[in-house]
Amino acid sequence: MILDIFTVDFLRNALVGGVILAIVLSVLSLFIYMKSWSFINIGISHAAFGGLAIGYLAGISPSLSGSIFAVIVGLIIGYLSRTNKLHEDLSIGILLSLSMALGVVLISFSNNYNSDLFAFLFGNILTITTEDIVLLGIFTLFTLVFFYMFFDKILYCCFDDELAKVSGINSELLYYSLLSTVAIATVLSIKLVGSILSSAMMILPAATASQIFWHYRKILISSLLISILTVVLGIVISFEFNLPSGSTIVIVYSLIFFILAITKRILRLDV
Amino acid sequence: MVDIRSLSVILENKIILEDINLKIDKGEIVAIVGPNGSGKTTLIKTILGFLKPSSGIVHINGKLPRDYIKDGKLGYLPQKSSFDAKFPVRALDVIMFGLVNKKGRKKDKEKVAREYIEYVGMGGFEEYPFGKLSGGQQQRIMIARALISRPDILLLDEPSTGVDVVAQENFYEFLKKINQENKITIVMVSHDVGVVANYVHKVAGLNRRLHFFGRPREFFQTKVLESLYGLDVNLLIHSPECVTCQHFMPDKLVEGVKH
Repeated sequence: MILDIFTVDFLRNALVGGVILAIVLSVLSLFIYMKSWSFINIGISHAAFGGLAIGYLAGISPSLSGSIFAVIVGLIIGYLSRTNKLHEDLSIGILLSLSMALGVVLISFSNNYNSDLFAFLFGNILTITTEDIVLLGIFTLFTLVFFYMFFDKILYCCFDDELAKVSGINSELLYYSLLSTVAIATVLSIKLVGSILSSAMMILPAATASQIFWHYRKILISSLLISILTVVLGIVISFEFNLPSGSTIVIVYSLIFFILAITKRILRLDV
Repeated sequence: MVDIRSLSVILENKIILEDINLKIDKGEIVAIVGPNGSGKTTLIKTILGFLKPSSGIVHINGKLPRDYIKDGKLGYLPQKSSFDAKFPVRALDVIMFGLVNKKGRKKDKEKVAREYIEYVGMGGFEEYPFGKLSGGQQQRIMIARALISRPDILLLDEPSTGVDVVAQENFYEFLKKINQENKITIVMVSHDVGVVANYVHKVAGLNRRLHFFGRPREFFQTKVLESLYGLDVNLLIHSPECVTCQHFMPDKLVEGVKH
């Protein structure tokens, strides 16, 4: 029965796309965890809704309009919080509400108001096409090259931005590059897995891994493994029991998180 | 080394620094002291190039701070680092951050970092989570991080914050040692002039304007202290020979009374 998954095109695409997403989002999740950016990520994912709606209505690629919109919103949030012009929570709250409201108003002109909104929230990993996988693969490749080249510098900036700057690192450029990468990843993943699963895949891997490991390298490797395992398990379970795939993946993520958090307490792991 | 001319800094319509003229020579240890809100941290941040002067100019070895930073010859220890105590790095990783902009293999960098952790007396803590070290231990690791890039100048903002008195004095002794061994110019901000006076070559008394710049001994004069801190100043002096601490009035200090 499980082997059937590999013979069905849309399931195979879901598995391949899901694993690629798991790889790129779990790498990003390390930085979201270290920078305590989980709220920024949720802000961007909701803000992206406005951009996706513009794309749907204007008849242009929703991924393109959503990415541009999310990057702009992400950069505004980043600028406001970095320069202390407005408290981070406040700026995210305002932009999140505004973009979400704008998106709902724009989508209301569409005939498929409810289904579009539902797709935004939950997506459908089973509808991933070969084109989506190619786009995702290219983005993942660029992202991994970016991190391979600048990993230590980004890590230093996350540790202390001012110190990194004094060491001659262009911390502002790296900060905004990281934010833009998170924003684009958010939009691409929303289209495939919906806003809720996208946030889960960017927040939960490192948060889960940090329950048992304290060093960044181990968190990175284990969050990668946890993420891949969760996506595969989620798709297999949803296929076997005829459940919505996105929601099943979120539940598996959350279960692993709670199991590790409880194990940590029981074993009194000093992490 | 550091040449500050007619420097004024205005932040949010408030004059924080006014007409500062200061020249720090190579190899000197200078303490910037003054009451809370006197502009000490602003001065350090302006020397670092984080803040732009409203007027005047800052030069380090004839270069503007932003250009000097690019050479990687500047070490900095912030007042209270903005890092998260749970940031997932080892003590050794923090020291290696100091080499992040230098070329070379990671293995070689790690070897150098191991030498520096020994140098700051923290050998054995290489694999330890940085966030779990005590304030004094973190400070030594941070100093190793700053020193590993072989800076010409080290700027420290309130290095004694959150560190007990013994660790503080050990730390200042250590600063003196690295100054002598490596000829590094050290500029540090401190609110505790009684402690730093024993370890520095010069003191800069700051309270928006520069009220004093000279030898520590000359700093403890009634008129200097009154002009800097206002009237009725009580000063607690610590010295390496100190057995019991007492409060001294500035006028007694002029007479050179020490314990």
